[in-house]
Amino acid sequence: MRHEGWLLPYVRTYWGRFLIIIALGCLTLLTASMLMFTSGFLISKAALRPENILMVYVPIVLVRTFGIGRAVVHYVERLVSHDAVLRIVALMRTRLYRILEPQALFISSRFRTGDMLGVLSDDIQYLQDVYLRTVFPSVVALVMYIGSIAALGWFDVRFALFMALYVFILVAVLPWVSLLLTKAKSRLSKQQRSRLYTRLTDAVLGMSDWVISGRQSQFLAAYEAEEREAARVNGQLKRWARWRQLIGQAVIGLSVITMTVWAAREYAGGHIPATLIAAFVLVVFPIMDAFMPVSDAMEKIPSYQSSLQRLREIEAAAGEYGGNGSTAAGISLEEVRRLAASDVHLKVQNVSFRYDDASPWSLQDVSLDLPQGKRIAIIGRSGAGKSTLLKLIEGALAPSAGTVSLSGVDASAIGERMPQLVSVLNQSPHLFDTTVANNIRLGDRDAEDDQIRRAAAQVKLDRLIESLPLGYRTPMHETGQRFSGGERQRIALARVLLQNNPVVVLDEPTVGLDPRTEKELLATILETMQGKSLIWVTHHLVGAEHMDEIIFMENGRVEMRGSHAELMAASERYRNLYRLDRPEAFMVK
Amino acid sequence: MDRNLLGYKGIKPTLAAVLLLTLVQSGSIVLLARWLAEVLSALFAGEPLHTQYNKLTMFLGAFLVRHIMGFIQQKISYAFAERTGASLRQQTLEKLFRLGPRFAKQEGTGNLVTLVLEGTSKFRNYLELIVPRMAGMSIIPWVILVYIFMQDITSGIILILSMPILIVFMILIGLAARKHTEKQLDSYRTLSNHFVDSLRGLETLKLLGQSRSHSDTIARVSDRYRSATMRTLRVAFLSSFALDFFTMLSVAVVAVGLGLRLVNGDLALVTGLTVLILAPEYFLPVRMVGSDFHATLDGKEAGAAMQQIIDEPLQEEAAAENAGLEKKELNWTKDSRLQLSGVGVQHQEEGPHSLNEVTLDIRGMGKIGIIGASGAGKSTLIDVLGGFLKPSAGSMELDGRRMSSLTTDAWRRLTTYIPQHPYIFSSTLADNIRFYAPDAANSEVEHAVAAAGLSELAHGLPLGAEEIIGNGGRQLSGGQAQRVALARAFLSDRPVMLLDEPTAHLDIETEYELKQTMLRLFENKLVFLATHRLHWMPDMDLIIVLDQGRVAEIGTHEELLARRGAYYELIQSQREGA
Repeated sequence: MRHEGWLLPYVRTYWGRFLIIIALGCLTLLTASMLMFTSGFLISKAALRPENILMVYVPIVLVRTFGIGRAVVHYVERLVSHDAVLRIVALMRTRLYRILEPQALFISSRFRTGDMLGVLSDDIQYLQDVYLRTVFPSVVALVMYIGSIAALGWFDVRFALFMALYVFILVAVLPWVSLLLTKAKSRLSKQQRSRLYTRLTDAVLGMSDWVISGRQSQFLAAYEAEEREAARVNGQLKRWARWRQLIGQAVIGLSVITMTVWAAREYAGGHIPATLIAAFVLVVFPIMDAFMPVSDAMEKIPSYQSSLQRLREIEAAAGEYGGNGSTAAGISLEEVRRLAASDVHLKVQNVSFRYDDASPWSLQDVSLDLPQGKRIAIIGRSGAGKSTLLKLIEGALAPSAGTVSLSGVDASAIGERMPQLVSVLNQSPHLFDTTVANNIRLGDRDAEDDQIRRAAAQVKLDRLIESLPLGYRTPMHETGQRFSGGERQRIALARVLLQNNPVVVLDEPTVGLDPRTEKELLATILETMQGKSLIWVTHHLVGAEHMDEIIFMENGRVEMRGSHAELMAASERYRNLYRLDRPEAFMVK
Repeated sequence: MDRNLLGYKGIKPTLAAVLLLTLVQSGSIVLLARWLAEVLSALFAGEPLHTQYNKLTMFLGAFLVRHIMGFIQQKISYAFAERTGASLRQQTLEKLFRLGPRFAKQEGTGNLVTLVLEGTSKFRNYLELIVPRMAGMSIIPWVILVYIFMQDITSGIILILSMPILIVFMILIGLAARKHTEKQLDSYRTLSNHFVDSLRGLETLKLLGQSRSHSDTIARVSDRYRSATMRTLRVAFLSSFALDFFTMLSVAVVAVGLGLRLVNGDLALVTGLTVLILAPEYFLPVRMVGSDFHATLDGKEAGAAMQQIIDEPLQEEAAAENAGLEKKELNWTKDSRLQLSGVGVQHQEEGPHSLNEVTLDIRGMGKIGIIGASGAGKSTLIDVLGGFLKPSAGSMELDGRRMSSLTTDAWRRLTTYIPQHPYIFSSTLADNIRFYAPDAANSEVEHAVAAAGLSELAHGLPLGAEEIIGNGGRQLSGGQAQRVALARAFLSDRPVMLLDEPTAHLDIETEYELKQTMLRLFENKLVFLATHRLHWMPDMDLIIVLDQGRVAEIGTHEELLARRGAYYELIQSQREGA
């Protein structure tokens, strides 16, 4: 994988815009400074009481121009910089998406902690600040620094060098000291915050345990102690910010005095006219104001680190795992279409899988045989190898030994085109924030409206959808409350119907549903999936009678297999499990 | 302005101090302007530099006083904000615990955690800003204005006129911007959520074969998002543009006016310079209020949201009623008796009953199954029995003592509760098990680990029972989490156990094994087990069949089967369903 940063490449892409932004930023400060400069000059000049008002005409015009100009330029600058940064965000988003896309099927297993995807998306949002709050103000300040020193040098090189050293305190020393002093503290503060976050989540999610255990007050005391500690660190950061501000202001005050002394001496020496004394002194205030934000900009640097770090890690991980995700399809689109149009014979022959030579076997010697229309159920506890087997069938993983083929074509050769042969209905299909119709249409982008209606009718959602005020055009987020778990699965099922593939994988689609909903959903699934090959991963035996074969997996191996009738007759263990799951059959004769 | 603001503890001395400091500050601003102007005009008139050293030092003094005042103001406001924010957070948290898990679920965990954490810092930020900003606005411009009027009436008039114009424009543009934003809020929301929505749905897209082509959609939507944002920003930035524009324009107009009058000889240079230096200072407080507007608004709203939680009415027992009970230790033995008569739960008035006229008589130890279709009120009954919920009707009697609910700590100390998804704290396995009994010795924990069937897991972990589990540590499977909850309950040795659908989501083999462990741990306890899994029922000593919030039948498995009533029908319906 190329080791490209998340910041520099965009500077290269948009260097033109960046230059304009810097120029506008400088112009903003320049107009503000020139307003004070020309005002000072104008007043001094006027105090000389020139014979003709025209003598002060030019400064009058300039004062008005700068007065209006500063607001306009600043407005334009803000717009241009936000526009450029939003363009960068768009590029970053596409980039992050392209990194994650190949490993899409592995994301949930790889990032188990919380909402990693939400965090990554926020990271990109946050990186806008790198440009808006750190890069732009710092560069503008630097350019202003060089510019104003050069301008002063035009009058007096030695004094300009002296001021250069002096203002260096504001532009570089203070920011650097600031960064040095706060770096460790900001990091600590961030850690404290994330620990508080974990604690609080523990408190709210585990509230019934806290309440029942009677340990609320104990928790509150411990939590408040941590909050106090965090507040202490935060207070130290704030205290430094106050001191920094005060030191900066003291530097400004002293530079006003220095400037006054210099201007007076220059005037006494006859190097500058009297009218420039006030101008030189008054311009110090707005110019110095440009340098104050640099410290703030520098202090922000540590706070970007964790976001950058996460993005870098994701990119590195993608490079590492890249080999697993099948990338290029080995066979043409036409061939896949031809395969999909006829009966598909899915064969898994003596397949074994492990991630690398050092890791234990996830699957060992598993075989399946599914001629078109066969239905099998796979049962096993978590970690038994069910998901690995599904990933092999989906072509997302290649077997370490053995073969997976569909009508003789190797699954890994189909690769990316697998969704045109095999549909998957999993535990938590995502419903996108668009209309109901568009969500169903994801199964087939070219589907007509009446096809969508037919699919909705097949999954028995037509009445519900039509009862909504906007019907099929209802935005999904508004239905979040109205659609239950079962109904959400039905929408996903409608997608699968539109896909109209010969093979369908059901990956525990009924987990978390109450028994009634589960049975109804299952009935709909079985009814609509007539003639398709079904691979149904399930956690219990409801519906087992409808399957041609039931496969029990444990530790990556097939432990027990056979039809319901066969297993009932032959296996004591199966009878026990079945009795647990369907006790009513034994209770009521 | 925020009406709550004056109600916070310690606001009065803080405000008084800040006002005083601001007053000193505005005095020093006037003086520094005056002294600098005097120095400059003297130099302009050709006086030698050394005669001005005194004035220059005085200027520097005034300049420093001004910023030192600001420094102290910030320090005081920060301390006040920190204190007040912390106390608001503390109150909110305490209240959250008293409102209990039901309220937390209703409000959403994520929302609450964000509110307490982010909300507190936003609120603190708001307080920290609002106090000096208010003081600044109410003193500085007016002191400066009075002084300018004393010096030069014309400039004073320009400045006093431009302030209302500026404020009116700011408000008008602000309103227009809000209207503009509200109009396209919906499409804007969709656009801005599109990316994270796509990432969360990436797996689904991949499975549907749409993920590749979707990357173009991301680029396209991001671009539309940019245009939409820019449209909003063009309007939003206008209000700070107006602020800038009128400030700078006024300064320019003042400067030009001064120049013209100087040419005519109506004015002294020193006056002109003083007014020129003071003009930007006059607008500074307004500009600061403008630039902090959004931050303060956010903080104010966060504070209001927390206050709302604090003001939420409590469902708990009235304090007086509680006081007597809290003192007495409750206990549950094999001779104890709990009676519920006519207990009902109605979440909203006029709304449907979650529980209706439930009358039960429970004695001693035993396993009680609560069964019914989903929505029959199983979880609500468990919540009432566990003391999470105060019924809206009926009464209870515990060993002859009448009480209107079980929401007392004394009762809770007798119970343990195992939900469908027990929460695993991000802590060690041992500490998770020790949750109800924090002082339990290691040997006792080991015993609980063995009893709950966790030995294999514990031995398999690199650090054994000291391994960090939960969020940020090792994740447990559903079955393992249940076992941790069982170990917790076992270690606590409390006589009453409540379980809400503990095994329904587990795979059948895990459920089978877990059931054997559970039945062992149920011995010599009063157990309430709410479930729709019928296989538990033959093992129960008593079955309560709920139907639409009412008790349809009570009896043992055999009795109910023989009666061929609601229980029998429930079994039949499950049989036919598949």
